[in-house]
Amino acid sequence: MTDATERMPPAGEIVLSLRKVCKQFGAVSALTDVDLDVHAGEVVALVGDNGAGKSTLVKVLAGVHTPTSGTVTFGGRQVTLNGPNDALSLGIATVFQDLALCENLDVVANIYLGEELGPFALDEVAMEVRTWQLLGELSARIPSVREPIASLSGGQRQTVAIARALLRDPKLIMLDEPTAALGVAQTAEVLNLIERVRDKGLGVIMISHNMEDVRAVADRIVVLRLGRNNGIFYPDSSNEELVSAITGASDNAVSRRHERRHVQRPNSGGGTS
Amino acid sequence: MTGNAESRPTALDRADSRVRHDAGMSGAVRGFIDRIRSGDLGSLPVVVGLVVICTVFQSLNPVFLSSRNLVDLLFDSSTVGVISLGIVSILIVGEIDLSVGSVSGLASAIIGVLWVNTGWPVGLAIVVALVAGCVIGLIYSALFNRLGMPSFVSTLAGLLAALGLQLYLLGATGSINLPYDSPLVDLGQNWIMPHLVAYALVLLAGIGIFITGSRRAAQRRAAGLTPPAIAGILARAAAFVVVVEFVVWYLNQDRGVPWMFGLFVGLVVGMDYALTRTKWGRSMLAVGGNREAARRAGINVRRIYQSAFALCATLAALGGVLSAARLASASQQAGTGDVNLNAIAAAVIGGTSLFGGRGSAYSALLGIVVIQAIASGLTLLDLSSSLRYMITGGVLAIAVIVDSLARRSRVSHGRA
Ligand SMILES: Nc1ncnc2c1ncn2[C@@H]1O[C@H](COP(=O)(O)OP(=O)(O)OP(=O)(O)O)[C@@H](O)[C@H]1O
Ligand SMILES: [Mg+2]
Repeated sequence: MTDATERMPPAGEIVLSLRKVCKQFGAVSALTDVDLDVHAGEVVALVGDNGAGKSTLVKVLAGVHTPTSGTVTFGGRQVTLNGPNDALSLGIATVFQDLALCENLDVVANIYLGEELGPFALDEVAMEVRTWQLLGELSARIPSVREPIASLSGGQRQTVAIARALLRDPKLIMLDEPTAALGVAQTAEVLNLIERVRDKGLGVIMISHNMEDVRAVADRIVVLRLGRNNGIFYPDSSNEELVSAITGASDNAVSRRHERRHVQRPNSGGGTS
Repeated sequence: MTGNAESRPTALDRADSRVRHDAGMSGAVRGFIDRIRSGDLGSLPVVVGLVVICTVFQSLNPVFLSSRNLVDLLFDSSTVGVISLGIVSILIVGEIDLSVGSVSGLASAIIGVLWVNTGWPVGLAIVVALVAGCVIGLIYSALFNRLGMPSFVSTLAGLLAALGLQLYLLGATGSINLPYDSPLVDLGQNWIMPHLVAYALVLLAGIGIFITGSRRAAQRRAAGLTPPAIAGILARAAAFVVVVEFVVWYLNQDRGVPWMFGLFVGLVVGMDYALTRTKWGRSMLAVGGNREAARRAGINVRRIYQSAFALCATLAALGGVLSAARLASASQQAGTGDVNLNAIAAAVIGGTSLFGGRGSAYSALLGIVVIQAIASGLTLLDLSSSLRYMITGGVLAIAVIVDSLARRSRVSHGRA
């Protein structure tokens, strides 16, 4: 029954809600009628096979792609995200799968890009101090913040991208495979960090192919398959259920049954594994 | 991570034991060699090139390094140098403007027609010329931002269009002489800093370098970061003062330092501040380095391109005004020939990358001195313009090769 209390719908109100969001790239429908809710103080894991549309969904929410149709409600208001600036000013921060860093700029410049202190006389000292603090919180192993990003390893870059997202004090933070390139200690630190920002009342969307990480921090697991919703699971759902929902191996019967049972008894059951 | 903050004899930025922190003079030298090896050449190729050029031309014609010739060289550098400064701004965002020569010619034609033929006040004519340049830049940026037209093509079209407009404005006469006794022509031909003023300005600049450096060091120390050594800052400022005061003294043996060159250096310093110390400059470098990353960081990428194109064309127009002053005429030849190439070559030779995202305002200053030194040396040798073009073309090719090789080396050394 301890599981059941953990699975209570989060106390926070809904931060973000998507209804029937579609995104087409020419003939390819990357997203079809996707629904998604994220509450304050909740970690939602977005899982699915390669090409399932996870990154596309994140980019839609980050304002990088405009959705073909569907509605996005953020903080109770319906919003249109016409560009990255719209998302950033609403308080949606994103760590992109391809990181989106400027290789020619140093770590400080990348973390503060678009948010520089002192627009007409950059306050390099304050920015550098804050950079070291952010990197310290992530247990980052970065030798110098004054070297161009090009000289960093993949994991170091990922840490920089995460620090960048934290800088802006967002309301919702989206992490697209944040731990893919990280070492053991750094992965643990990122998972700790996700829990910490959740406890501060932020909504978190995390994408990962690592089910262990997902189970460790997620409050809810949303499965996408071929650009469509394919069930909602909880950290204690069995592996077969999850895997079959992700791969579609057993014709989704398992997940449909699972969902049905959750609708009937929202706060209990499911601990059959 | 809290342990780090408590045991704070180590500065924040010295926590990682793997980094060799170069201290003192030997450290500075070692860091310099490392940077050169990895392809971060900075201004080294220019300095080496300049020494080679000076040695060769001086041995061929002893007039080359005379004070008189160097003063003329500074006059000539200022006009194309200003154009080259605009090229730096457009190269930093990874685009190009091939029409700067024609735009400068158009600006000089506007000055001639409005000021001399129509009798407008010279100040107003200059403003109109600058606005015309700015509008041309805005047209390029609109074509680029709205229609996705490559700047290479739009500015090539603009080259012809602006040249046509220049010829149209000048009409049948083809050339308008500017009045010799006017302040504008004085600026371009005669105005020299009083000797003491030149010495004082250099001294002030040296003190400025020291004060900003030591203030930065104090701020860093107060914030718990390792400060640069005060001795190093002092040494740098002192070296600057000694070297530049010597150059000024040598120029003062003849006429002295032209005010027009002072204007150019002032623009360079201003542009350097804007590029390195403001949010706008940071955004310019970001757009040049990774356009999509800049967009996702919330930077208004289109606005940045717009400012770069407009700034480049406006500076090209200003360069045109200055060269009209230098030649005391607005002619059909103004801005044609090698002006375009010299301006672009100067920026690249000075160390601004053609690939975007790297560059500094000072590259315009260094580069144009190299280009003008070559031009002046070849003129002294009385070579035909055919040879001059070939040699200048060769130098540009070498500069681009150095840029490409350095870039490749930077990529492999993680300094892209
Ligand atoms: N810019 C684009 N243009 C055209 N098609 C695209 C674009 N971006 C994504 N797609 C297509 O959309 C689909 C979903 O891609 P997406 O990147 O969202 O997958 P993903 O779930 O993040 O996969 P992965 O786990 O490999 O990161 C893919 O079929 C992809 O080809
Ligand atoms: Mg993806």
